[in-house]
Amino acid sequence: MTWTDFAGLVPVLILLGGAILILMAGAYRPHYRLFILAGISIALTACGVAVFSTSAVKEVSGIFRCGPYADFFMALWSLLGALTLGISFRYGEERKFAPGEYVALVLFSCVGMSFLSMASSLVGFFLGLEMISLNFYILTVFHRQSPEAPEAGMKYLLLGAVATGFLAFGIALIFAATGTLKLPEAMSGMVAGGQIVPLGLLAIAMFLVGVGFKLSLFPFHFWTPDVYQGAPAPVTGLLASGSKGAVWAAMVPLGAGLAGGLAEIVPLLKALALLTLATGVLCALVQDNIKRLLAFSSVSHMGYVLIAFLSGGLTGERAVIFYLVTYSIVVLGSFGVLACLSTPLGEPRALSDFKGLAYRSPFLAAALTIFLFSLAGIPLTAGFIGKFHIFYSAVRAGHTWMAIAGVIASLISMGYYLRLVFLVFQPRTDSPSPLAVCQPPGNIAVAFCSVLTLVIGIFPAPLLKFVAAILSP
Amino acid sequence: MNELTFYPLLSLLIAIPLGGAFLCVLSRRSSGLCRWLALLSSGAVLVLAGSLFRLPDQTGWLLREDYAWIDTLGARFTLGLDGVSLLMVLLTALLIVMAVLVSWRTISEKTALYFSLLLALEAGLMGVFLALDLFLFYICWEIMLIPAVILIVVWGEEGSLPAVFKFIFFTIGGSLLMLLSIISLYYLHGEQTGVFSFSLEALRLTKLSGSLELWIYLGFLLAFAVKIPLVPLHIWLPDTYCKAPTAITLLLSGVLAKTGIYGLYRFAFQLCPEAAAKSFAWLSIVALVTVFYAAWTAFGQSDIKRLLAYSSVSHLGFIVFGLSVSNRTAMEGSFLQMFSHGITMGAFFALTAMIEERIGDTRMERLGGLWGRAPLWSFFFLVVALSSLGLPGLNNFVGEILILAGAFQSLPWLGAVAVPSILLAALYILRLVRHVLWGVSPAGLIWTDVGRREIFILVPFLILMVWVGCWPQTFLDPLQQVAGLPFFEGAVALKGGVLP
Repeated sequence: MTWTDFAGLVPVLILLGGAILILMAGAYRPHYRLFILAGISIALTACGVAVFSTSAVKEVSGIFRCGPYADFFMALWSLLGALTLGISFRYGEERKFAPGEYVALVLFSCVGMSFLSMASSLVGFFLGLEMISLNFYILTVFHRQSPEAPEAGMKYLLLGAVATGFLAFGIALIFAATGTLKLPEAMSGMVAGGQIVPLGLLAIAMFLVGVGFKLSLFPFHFWTPDVYQGAPAPVTGLLASGSKGAVWAAMVPLGAGLAGGLAEIVPLLKALALLTLATGVLCALVQDNIKRLLAFSSVSHMGYVLIAFLSGGLTGERAVIFYLVTYSIVVLGSFGVLACLSTPLGEPRALSDFKGLAYRSPFLAAALTIFLFSLAGIPLTAGFIGKFHIFYSAVRAGHTWMAIAGVIASLISMGYYLRLVFLVFQPRTDSPSPLAVCQPPGNIAVAFCSVLTLVIGIFPAPLLKFVAAILSP
Repeated sequence: MNELTFYPLLSLLIAIPLGGAFLCVLSRRSSGLCRWLALLSSGAVLVLAGSLFRLPDQTGWLLREDYAWIDTLGARFTLGLDGVSLLMVLLTALLIVMAVLVSWRTISEKTALYFSLLLALEAGLMGVFLALDLFLFYICWEIMLIPAVILIVVWGEEGSLPAVFKFIFFTIGGSLLMLLSIISLYYLHGEQTGVFSFSLEALRLTKLSGSLELWIYLGFLLAFAVKIPLVPLHIWLPDTYCKAPTAITLLLSGVLAKTGIYGLYRFAFQLCPEAAAKSFAWLSIVALVTVFYAAWTAFGQSDIKRLLAYSSVSHLGFIVFGLSVSNRTAMEGSFLQMFSHGITMGAFFALTAMIEERIGDTRMERLGGLWGRAPLWSFFFLVVALSSLGLPGLNNFVGEILILAGAFQSLPWLGAVAVPSILLAALYILRLVRHVLWGVSPAGLIWTDVGRREIFILVPFLILMVWVGCWPQTFLDPLQQVAGLPFFEGAVALKGGVLP
């Protein structure tokens, strides 16, 4: 390993160094607003460096792979980190978040996401995943006065630790079966004579449990609503977007293996996708708490991504990555709206709190409407283009039934997304709303997300080209 | 096509309402300004649409526009105007102006939002009637739903939410299936030719096996049949029509229903001609069932809005019948009838809005004996009613007679079955007229005759009814060359079918 190897890692190093500096500065002279702004500028610098980086595909110390693919995700996660800090601006100040620790932890988790996305070996995979998880164990309970935080933190920690155990065991078994930790060789090594070796089957099962937990696939999704509900809104936003997206980013290069000898487990994964979709959609339909609704909605969206992932090929990979980008922005934006609407007394809870929002905070109402439309996959938003690609990849792969299942799930999901939109536009005649009033320009991060959602929805070509370019360098 | 192609006139038809909607949002402090802005921009669209009225060339197109859009997908921003879309664009532009005028006084709160949504709806409708790229069409198709449902939820009657959800569930369910059909066509065409495109003209050349074509056709058919609606997909309709503010009901019945018929002809028939030709027998039977069922149900209604809702469905069924008897005369009649139906229904719901403005609801028992009290209003009501039941000399007669003449040429038996439907229309319409205009006024009915604004709404309708009724040639001329019809006929003839 030489100094030149670090060239591809510069954005991560900026995040890492910045986070450490802020953490240390917090010990001496904590200043919330200044630290948040510093954190945002560090993240944006990392994002800018990653965007303009021209590093060639190259292995670094045998566990990470630099190159356009890694650069793309480093830029995305840094941007998400900056946006998360942006939506925490007022939220964290009102709740007296410890500035140094908060900003540093958010940046550290972005480092973890970047590591995970560029993992080229199971060691890097585990390292990145654990770096994300450890940060989120703390971030979930960062608002110590919140009555729901301890339950959420405890659930996440216990279940997460068990999942990590499964994952570590799975990785160990993979190593035992194949003698390598390199990806994707480790995965293809488990196939002998067109069949998965017995040890490999156990290894994959263990691996799937660990990954399924992080992605909240059925039946490992039970933690999602409780943790989402208890964690501070900006943290939930990052948890729902980045931490899941990074796992997918690491999984996409493994997808090629499914077409080969691992085809045996495809029916199982298909069933998982359908069950995940059904669980997410049907449970979201009956929720009355906005964060639980978004939690189940995120479960269902993981089902869509799994459909695209199973479709495989360049189309499937493109669909997964495009969906991840749009979904991350939209989810972070919606939690940003929740953060903006939070008062020092608490966050928005019941859906009925949103009634009449359009006439009190038109800006936030418009942003929320755009996000919900995008989640529902209504045209002119990024979500529609994303769903279009997912259905297209499924049809192209011959999985027409999966596409039809996706269509049915979309239809049911209209029930809860549009119900919320209608509430936002219905005039409020009864009691005053407990939500904070937010006048324009509201929150820059939320505005950025909503504009981006529309722009990608109307002119998706540049992003599509970009995604195609990083997949076939 | 001609020199006007250099000006993006068709894009303007979409852009002007959007600009108007934006201005309305900006000037939300003053309701008066919003109203005038809405009237001005919708009026400008009407003038522009009127100025496009001309005869088509050999290809059938009056105007076309084509811009690059999402090149990675092969989706382009392609708009085209032929005789059928011209009539639909005119109708949309006219009815939006009328909807603005109808809601002039009734909408006093959140005016800016109301009028901007109305204009956004107009932009979506224009997009649906002009798009020649399936991706663009699908986007406009879904987008026009959003302003419509928000308008119903916020300004509709109490308890409109279940009705709206029924509406959404049916329409979006249909359109998502259509999306799958579009994706499949797009994929198959790309595989066959190596060119990935959403252009209607390219996709209709896709070679499809029989069963696959049938599935794709069904996806389109369901989406459009929900919107029209054909029995049994109509169950969303009565509640939605009744709970919506009357200006929106006017648009739902006058224009939104036409998007279904238009889509059926423009996309479903063109893209899957063989499956379409096979389905004609079934489609015409379903259409006739719709005609009779809706007319029968209309007869039993006691609420004017509900009666008109069913009457509208019955007439729309007749138009679909005209499309599905595979005869050119009947097809022309159907296109003309789409326009006529919009005029009549628009006028009917405008009159209903006036009733609602005066007495607060639309139950028939609250009305009666208006002929003596408000002669001018009653005159308009009578003329519109007569037009609706197909009186010669008024608009509906022309379309109906063309459809029937065509039907008798190709399917005499079905034509014979269709004739009594006109009788049924006379039954329920005359019952309505008798209740409203004659009989005894209920106690305490206070009724002022039409004012200046209302006359301004009704007179254009009246002129158009007489114009179409007495000189239909003006509106039939643009239909002489309908783009895509030769292609469709050719495709059907190739497969051994006939379309005389």
